[in-house]
Amino acid sequence: MKTLYARLFQNYWSPYLVMALAGLFSAFYFGITGTVWAVTGEFTRLAGHAMALFGADVSDWSYFKLIGMKGTTFTRTDGWIVWGMFAGALIMVLLNNNFKIRTPRQKRRWAQGFAGGIVAGFGARLALGCNLAAFFTGVPQFSLHAWIFMVATAGGTFLGAKLVAAAWWKGKPVVTKGAIARKAAKPSNVQPVLGAVAAVAYAGLIAYLFASGHRMLGVAALFGALFGILIERGQICFTSAFRDLWISGRATMTKAIIVGMAVSSVATLAVILINGMEPITKIAALSTLVGGLLFGIGIVMAGGCETGMMYRLMEGQIVFLPVFIGNVIGAGALAYAWDHMGVYDTLVASGSKINLIDVLGSGGALAATLIVLAAGFAIAAYWQKHYRFKNGFKKGDNAHAAKTTAVR
Amino acid sequence: MPQKQPPSVDFTLDVRGESCPYPVIYTLETLQQLQKGQLLQVVADCPASLRNVPEEVVKHGYVLEREPEKDGRELYFYIRA
Repeated sequence: MKTLYARLFQNYWSPYLVMALAGLFSAFYFGITGTVWAVTGEFTRLAGHAMALFGADVSDWSYFKLIGMKGTTFTRTDGWIVWGMFAGALIMVLLNNNFKIRTPRQKRRWAQGFAGGIVAGFGARLALGCNLAAFFTGVPQFSLHAWIFMVATAGGTFLGAKLVAAAWWKGKPVVTKGAIARKAAKPSNVQPVLGAVAAVAYAGLIAYLFASGHRMLGVAALFGALFGILIERGQICFTSAFRDLWISGRATMTKAIIVGMAVSSVATLAVILINGMEPITKIAALSTLVGGLLFGIGIVMAGGCETGMMYRLMEGQIVFLPVFIGNVIGAGALAYAWDHMGVYDTLVASGSKINLIDVLGSGGALAATLIVLAAGFAIAAYWQKHYRFKNGFKKGDNAHAAKTTAVR
Repeated sequence: MPQKQPPSVDFTLDVRGESCPYPVIYTLETLQQLQKGQLLQVVADCPASLRNVPEEVVKHGYVLEREPEKDGRELYFYIRA
């Protein structure tokens, strides 16, 4: 019992397993509700509600008409996905006895996170989805826009990685001579107890939603929690899946996410064919490219995307609070710029909805998707093996630069 | 969990409070400045560091002197340059 608890809640799970499960669950969620696992659309609605609260009349903004503003966040499935993810992640952090207010030593991180959050929120909504709807759950819908977004995000993270590696951005770490004393105080068991209580309470809430006839909200609350549990337990970070390639050549997340998308593509196609559903296709346009680029830069600046920041915040990494607020502000700014500043006319109007199933047939769409994903996996594996910190693909003795440069 | 006496440490890098990617960047940069054979202690509390710091130092040719240690909510790494 104790070892099972330790395995489940005190150790992180394999990111490959986690992403495969997330891919499977997102296909189920689509089959049940007809919508995909996504978060930033709801962030935009939160921005809309906030603006309305301050007296703005957003009812005729075309972006809000496009994404729908009915009800409140607690009467929408998209809302429950977001709150469920926070709840699921928090429960896991508490069961792991790992909540701690983590305050960055570098004060500049606050401004960086806020700025990055705004850029990422704006970019994601410009492209009509973040790393979920325009990526992890967009590729399995065979929507071409997801592929454009992914490539653009990769480019954006390259620029972002250059920025955060600059001395003025990253700041200097604290290096001291010798060891530092450890505080060996054992943390109390309050958090796991709180976690168990929260888990029971949340399960009760889901049961209540079902019992009171709000079945779809119950489904969303359940799947939201499952997604939150998975991304926290797998420490899933879409930002690092790109960024770490450019920094130190780490591709663990990249490969895990690719595996998840492959699983999800097969499962989603099965759902589409069995249920006779239409895949969700979004506009592929210049806005997808620009949005992906901005999103890529923003998530690296912020240190996390709209998904990763959720469980990070629940772990007590409070620098992600300004990131969250920035995400909502950025999404709101895009909703304003959409029709008030001509964003739609210049970047979106010329685009079109293209789905691979329409172009290649369902078999062809799946085959093409899996082939490209496999190629991506192979490139990531090669990258991980050969790319090194500061040296890139150049061969060289990366270690012990001390031979030439003295310790600062 | 009480630990064995930590090995004799030459330098300590304290990245508590910092989130990804800074623990990895700082660790690799600091290791590049050490002499071969010197031992670096890294203290972190970003949960993702438990995985990405050991993976990256080993990949870059450094030696993880012992398994990463969890002390409460803090992580201790001992890395030989």
